[in-house]
Amino acid sequence: MAAEERAAAIVLRASDYGEADRIVSALTREHGKLGGIARGLRKSRGRFERRLEPFSHVMLCFRRRPHGELVFITRAESAGLEVYEPGDDLAKFALGAYMLELSSALIREGSDAAGAYDLLAGALGELCRRGASNALRQAFELKLLRWAGYGLDFSCCRRCAVGAGEHDLRFAFVVAEGGLLCERCRRASSTGAQALAPISLGQLQRLTILPIDAACAEPAALADAGGAINRFIAYTLERKLRSLAFLEAMLPASVRAQS
Amino acid sequence: MSDNHRGIEGLPPAMTRLAHELARLPGIGEKTATRLALVLLSWPRERVIELAESLLEMKERVGLCASCFGLSDCATCAVCANSGRDHGIICVVETPADLLAIERSRSFTGAYHVLHGALAPAQGIGPDDLKIGPLIARIEGRPAGSVREVIIATNATIEGDATALYLAKALKPLEVKTTRLARGLPTGSDLEYSDVATVSAALSYRREL
Ligand SMILES: [Zn+2]
Ligand SMILES: [Zn+2]
Repeated sequence: MAAEERAAAIVLRASDYGEADRIVSALTREHGKLGGIARGLRKSRGRFERRLEPFSHVMLCFRRRPHGELVFITRAESAGLEVYEPGDDLAKFALGAYMLELSSALIREGSDAAGAYDLLAGALGELCRRGASNALRQAFELKLLRWAGYGLDFSCCRRCAVGAGEHDLRFAFVVAEGGLLCERCRRASSTGAQALAPISLGQLQRLTILPIDAACAEPAALADAGGAINRFIAYTLERKLRSLAFLEAMLPASVRAQS
Repeated sequence: MSDNHRGIEGLPPAMTRLAHELARLPGIGEKTATRLALVLLSWPRERVIELAESLLEMKERVGLCASCFGLSDCATCAVCANSGRDHGIICVVETPADLLAIERSRSFTGAYHVLHGALAPAQGIGPDDLKIGPLIARIEGRPAGSVREVIIATNATIEGDATALYLAKALKPLEVKTTRLARGLPTGSDLEYSDVATVSAALSYRREL
């Protein structure tokens, strides 16, 4: 039998399986994204101090099985890890569920995901302490995309490198470019272009650079910027996230400039 | 067919097929399924027919109550049709199994409403996928004041809590007293797996939202 391993984990998805088992997908710091099965979880609570449900932050004990099958989750302990409980506010719950789904979609099993784990843990912590905001949403999206190799650049035109805000040029985000094109370079034929107001450009740059806790204190970029990130995510994943509609109902995009 | 059900030499295909179907049931593995198939084979023909007919009858007759969405074999379930129960109190649960858990506790004599799930945005389950609209219509369809209380008995999980919050907000304009089960249930546990005393305690110490 394989040796028991331990890892701090955030549960991304969980579903009941059969009468008492649960199938779990969790993001660990040391072992990336793991799929596992917890046997007898719903009936015997002894081995499982905490329930395994989305948002659970636990020390997972597990044994690997051959051929990349689901690992056997043997225990789950609270181990003093920060508890995320976004169920007391619908915007928090909606943004949290969206963060988990986006993580699930962008992180592949078996890849080193320490950076993504730290980012998700930090973002869920801020979410539960300070509540949901579009700034937190956008900062998380931009940072997770960057971690996954899709760093978006809002500083200058991808073609001619003219800086955003220079020469009174208008800029648009072009999904297929993963960045901006100035109005001179943007051909009429480019698809998926989203015009961005100068104030949004500046804000997107700040949210990209600032650490997640500082980004939360910033005003969000406006709806145009949110729309640009949305389009890029849908383009990259080739689908819309399922939690998006509920998120947009519970946490509408900012439409006016915030002071 | 998966490797598990490739069939065992010595077991006729008709039995392999039955064992394969039985193994779909929760908690039934391949070995148990084979043992059950052997038991069924030893039964007299009439008893096997009785079992087969009861399965079909259940499938054909049992649907959802038009009022509370609990399981029922006619348009209105026994609970909704029972004039001895207090229809001024509606207990909202996630699943039919949760309804049965409360009924087993014998500590509730009101009516029910089954949501058929809880909010789970990442699984694509939003408010419109639950029987929330019909609950509001059900209360609005009654004379004002005749529903005195709605007890929200969704599970003590994050998704259950969020669903309770959503419901409380949706019910606010109706001006009905809304309560939530006390946290007698250990955090993160399902009503379905709670014992009778725990369910009764959670009901009697419910708090207003
Ligand atoms: Zn240019
Ligand atoms: Zn009914």
